[in-house]
Amino acid sequence: MKGLFLKDLYMSLKYFRSYFLLAAVFLAVSAFSNTNLFFIFYPCMLCGMIPANLQAYDERSGWEALCGTLPCTRAQIVSEKYLVGLTAQLVLVLIPTALVQALRIILFQAISWEDYGALMFMLLIMTCVSSSISLPFVFKYGVEKGRMAQYLVIGVVCGGSVVASLYFDSIRQLSATADIPAFLLCLAAVALYAGSWFLSIRFYRERELK
Amino acid sequence: MNALEIKHLCKSFPGFCLDDLNLTLPSGCILGLIGENGAGKSTTIKLILDVLHKDSGSITILGRDNLDNIRLTKEDVGVVLDEVGIPECLNTHQVGKVMSLTFRNWDNDAYKGYLKALAIPEKKPFKDFSRGTKMKLGIAIALSHGAKLLLLDEATNGLDPVAREQVVELLSEFTRDESHAILISSHIVSDLEKLCDYIAFLHKGKLMLCEEKDLLMSRYGILHCTKAQLADLDPGAVLHKTESPYAVEALVLRDAVPEGTALSPISIEELFVFMSKEAD
Repeated sequence: MKGLFLKDLYMSLKYFRSYFLLAAVFLAVSAFSNTNLFFIFYPCMLCGMIPANLQAYDERSGWEALCGTLPCTRAQIVSEKYLVGLTAQLVLVLIPTALVQALRIILFQAISWEDYGALMFMLLIMTCVSSSISLPFVFKYGVEKGRMAQYLVIGVVCGGSVVASLYFDSIRQLSATADIPAFLLCLAAVALYAGSWFLSIRFYRERELK
Repeated sequence: MNALEIKHLCKSFPGFCLDDLNLTLPSGCILGLIGENGAGKSTTIKLILDVLHKDSGSITILGRDNLDNIRLTKEDVGVVLDEVGIPECLNTHQVGKVMSLTFRNWDNDAYKGYLKALAIPEKKPFKDFSRGTKMKLGIAIALSHGAKLLLLDEATNGLDPVAREQVVELLSEFTRDESHAILISSHIVSDLEKLCDYIAFLHKGKLMLCEEKDLLMSRYGILHCTKAQLADLDPGAVLHKTESPYAVEALVLRDAVPEGTALSPISIEELFVFMSKEAD
């Protein structure tokens, strides 16, 4: 699996540079904005698309079939894509956002620690949701058909972030409604992610790699 | 020990059916799989490694069932697919690093040796390679991890004559070790004729023949004669005939024609074409 991970690292550095740039720009904007969660959620959604996009490149280049002949199991092939997605979310979104927002609190008292907790919960939920819906479809039907699910996710995340921004008005107001429901939502999102991972492995074991 | 045993293998797709395929490849030998486009050669190779799932039948690779700890089995199998499948942005150096983390027995020195011997550029990305160079890289990878069995799907296609000769030499060298074996499919029958110990003909998903190459050459011949001369022969001796207004060309069994009959030697390609026409 280390070999697969290295291959996807090479490919990500080649094909997704624009994602990294966008994530950095949006992170910078989010550092000065209390009202628009879109700037935090959008990079999260972009990173959520990385595993499916890598899979698209694999299918197009014939790597998918070649990979079927290498000494790795189908479960490893699927798990590696989920791990790539998680790594991208951690490195590009979760950790930088956690650091930037913590700095805003420490330096400017821009938001409270409760707001901070609520925001991170929301981000974790988005992280889980952004890949977990599309990937099982991608692994079952291939990327072309799986894309439809991906577009659905983009719609949900974009729409969701706008609605969330309108509804909560600001991160400050988020905390009032967040605590326990957010924690439960988080658990549900993690369960959704784990379920998606498991389902993708099952689907991919059945799949014929042409 | 047999490197590969396929028994009663069946697989159907819409519009195609691989029907009751039986093949045996002894260790130390090279088996050439010949068939027209869509005959089932690539399907067979993919079924062997469970890239495609078989409907029924059994496949044994190096003494192990192909579904029994297939990950371990794949360590011992080198594969070159028709579409080599390396990601386009990777160069050979990066491919080597990826493969060294994938195969337990990856031999980086051997890999570099093959890159040099086959004149594969190290820094260029895969997308800039010609089809022949892509194939050569596939072959270099397949030979660099201590594989005991090579499965090569159209691996000599796209190679220039010099490179083809080089690859044929490498593959012959590979099977000097008695524990090694190769299953190779190709349209370029002349390569298979040079390389193979056994020849199998696949036609529309059915195995028409699987024999030792030398036996094939000694068993069949081509008879050029008139219609009247052909009519005098035992009908069982004639496997296929092509008639023109002036003469007849017939594929015959050498043992079944009268002694002294002048027969031309048959090439594997001619034999395949004759047999395919007969099967149609």
